[in-house]
Amino acid sequence: MDKARDAIPVPETDLSIGQRLYLREAIRGMEVLAKHFWRNLFGYRDPAPEILERKGPGVNLVTTINYPEERKPYPPGYRGMHRLVPRIDGRPRCVACYMCATACPAQCIYIEAGEYEDQAIEKYPVRFEIDELRCIVCGFCVEACPKDAIRMDTGTHAPAVLSRPLAVFDKEALLKGPAVEYPSDALTYGLPLRRPEPKEPEGPGVTSKGEVLR
Amino acid sequence: MAIPTTPSARLASEDFGPVTPPKPVYSQWLVKTIVGWSVFVGFLVALSWVFLALTRLFIWIGTLIPLDWGISQALGTIVSLVLVLVMVTATLLTMADRKWSALMQDRVGPNRARLSIIPFLRDKPLKGIPHILADVLKMVFKEDFIPQGAMADRFLFNLAPLLAFAPAFMLFAIVPVSPELTFWGARIQLQVARVDWGILYVFALASIAVLGTALAGWTSHNKLALLGGLRASAQLVSYEVTLGLTLVGALIVFGTLRLDTMAQLQGMTEAGLRAAASFANRAGDYLVRDESLLFGWLPAWGALFQPVGMILFLVAGQAEVKRAPFDTPEGDSEIIGYFLEYSGLKSGMFYIAEYAETVVISGIVTAIFLGAYHIPWLEPSIVRTTEGWLGASGIAWLAVFQVFAFIVKMLAIIWVLFVVRWAFPRFRYDQIMRLGWKMMLPVSLVNVALTGAILLWAGRDGLAWMGIIEWIAIWFFVAFSARAPQAAEAAGHSSTVAAH
Repeated sequence: MDKARDAIPVPETDLSIGQRLYLREAIRGMEVLAKHFWRNLFGYRDPAPEILERKGPGVNLVTTINYPEERKPYPPGYRGMHRLVPRIDGRPRCVACYMCATACPAQCIYIEAGEYEDQAIEKYPVRFEIDELRCIVCGFCVEACPKDAIRMDTGTHAPAVLSRPLAVFDKEALLKGPAVEYPSDALTYGLPLRRPEPKEPEGPGVTSKGEVLR
Repeated sequence: MAIPTTPSARLASEDFGPVTPPKPVYSQWLVKTIVGWSVFVGFLVALSWVFLALTRLFIWIGTLIPLDWGISQALGTIVSLVLVLVMVTATLLTMADRKWSALMQDRVGPNRARLSIIPFLRDKPLKGIPHILADVLKMVFKEDFIPQGAMADRFLFNLAPLLAFAPAFMLFAIVPVSPELTFWGARIQLQVARVDWGILYVFALASIAVLGTALAGWTSHNKLALLGGLRASAQLVSYEVTLGLTLVGALIVFGTLRLDTMAQLQGMTEAGLRAAASFANRAGDYLVRDESLLFGWLPAWGALFQPVGMILFLVAGQAEVKRAPFDTPEGDSEIIGYFLEYSGLKSGMFYIAEYAETVVISGIVTAIFLGAYHIPWLEPSIVRTTEGWLGASGIAWLAVFQVFAFIVKMLAIIWVLFVVRWAFPRFRYDQIMRLGWKMMLPVSLVNVALTGAILLWAGRDGLAWMGIIEWIAIWFFVAFSARAPQAAEAAGHSSTVAAH
């Protein structure tokens, strides 16, 4: 008989008698809810974007960031929207070398080069467009750029658009943010035109196919 | 905010980098909070006056019309109490439920619906109030769908939401919101029906609500809705027994079925207040004793005599309203509920009825157990202070504050019911039945027997002592029942994991 009785599984519980009586724990639960309710109702809302920095007397416990009105800053290394870095005179640093367009695995960069007539820097982009819908945000263009002319340090992401053409950002849209200048830049731009005089070739030239030019 | 069309304009319109709102100055925020809450309290007081004045207005109109039939006061109270107080409170509760739940769970709650067409309300969340408007518009413009199978019982299908909706509002007819008083030369009381069978009316109408849910489940021609209707009818019938028996305890204490008399017995009479007003200039406070106070200082509220009755009534009321933790008839996550096949405004009527029932249950609890409109200890001094303000008598001013007190007490009970919603997990169907029949029914029977016996043996003072002892017992039970230490909780968790 004892064996038969032992065979019946007795539900094991770690709850104490007080917890099993339910009332005490129920009231404790309501206490917690009431505490949160009043603290959040009368609490002072600190909109600091970092939730851990929201402290002080009377600050409420709501951790929500109301997105379009409030934004949490992205971490410093975040690869965000592209920008074309301006020179100190406001023109893009870009020399239209096509390195970024070549490096881009998504082929989202379109460049049309033009020439300066009056500067030592010979080329500049007439059109520089990035299709933000094609961009995979890999950052290869930034790596490839020899002139530090394209960066992804805007701290924003590509905005939502209502139609696809609106996601193609042109030069005017991309050219923004603080200007960047290097000491060596002074040697190249802002200087008068240096165009070497055409000279007669001294000897016969040879093409890559071995033909001799007269 | 209009969206710029070209990428350049779009990018130019945004700041370079993330937007961080300026941190509000603490003192400004404090002042704003205090002013905001004062305005809210002032609004409620003004609303209390409006209720009284509206009723008086209807009586005045009644005197102008030759065929009055003596219903002008009833009409005025119907407009002010049922149409304004209950309807507006229930409507606001649809939002308050979501917003208060959010506050309890550290969220902000719904705030995206905005009245941007009004210039100075642009981009203002307004505590989520515009969501009510959005919800109503949504319900009005939804297709009024009737399932194929319900076509045979189309009349009953359409009747069900009415049967759920109407009793909730009709129930408020017997709730006394103000004492009987002379207001601008007419005797008025904010109570629609002053009848001898007040509590019986509560029982009768609460039973009609069962018909609505049962019909809805049955005529929807849907298995899940039928299941919900069955659960609802079983639950409502079970808990009505407890609901009735707890009120029997109250009517033993007060010796009447009339709610207005019950409310009156919990505080000072008008004669006592008049005495207070007339003694104001002649003698000190000591001449006017508040005879209603027990032992000279304890307000004689129903909650004092019937603590068990009040708690059981609240629990049974929550079950009657079919709100969590008693929401198996709805069971959003499993069977959706008896109103599954209803759409548009019919669904909205079930929805509003639930909140109206919450308001009514809170109103009845306030009227019977929480001293109704009475303000303990302060009434004589309020009468004396306000005597003659703006040419009105102190009694009339007191009535305004009493209506305000009633509304505040009612809101407090509603708030407790809403906290209960999130504090308890939903009961299983069998647990609800066990709680109703095997625990609450016996306890309420014992409560009735004990109350009657003590009233015969020791009278009203004995009942007060019983209530005090019960309150102390409940407090001991809650405070000193064993509580597992925190470390044991962690250990328990790991052992249960191991057991699985």
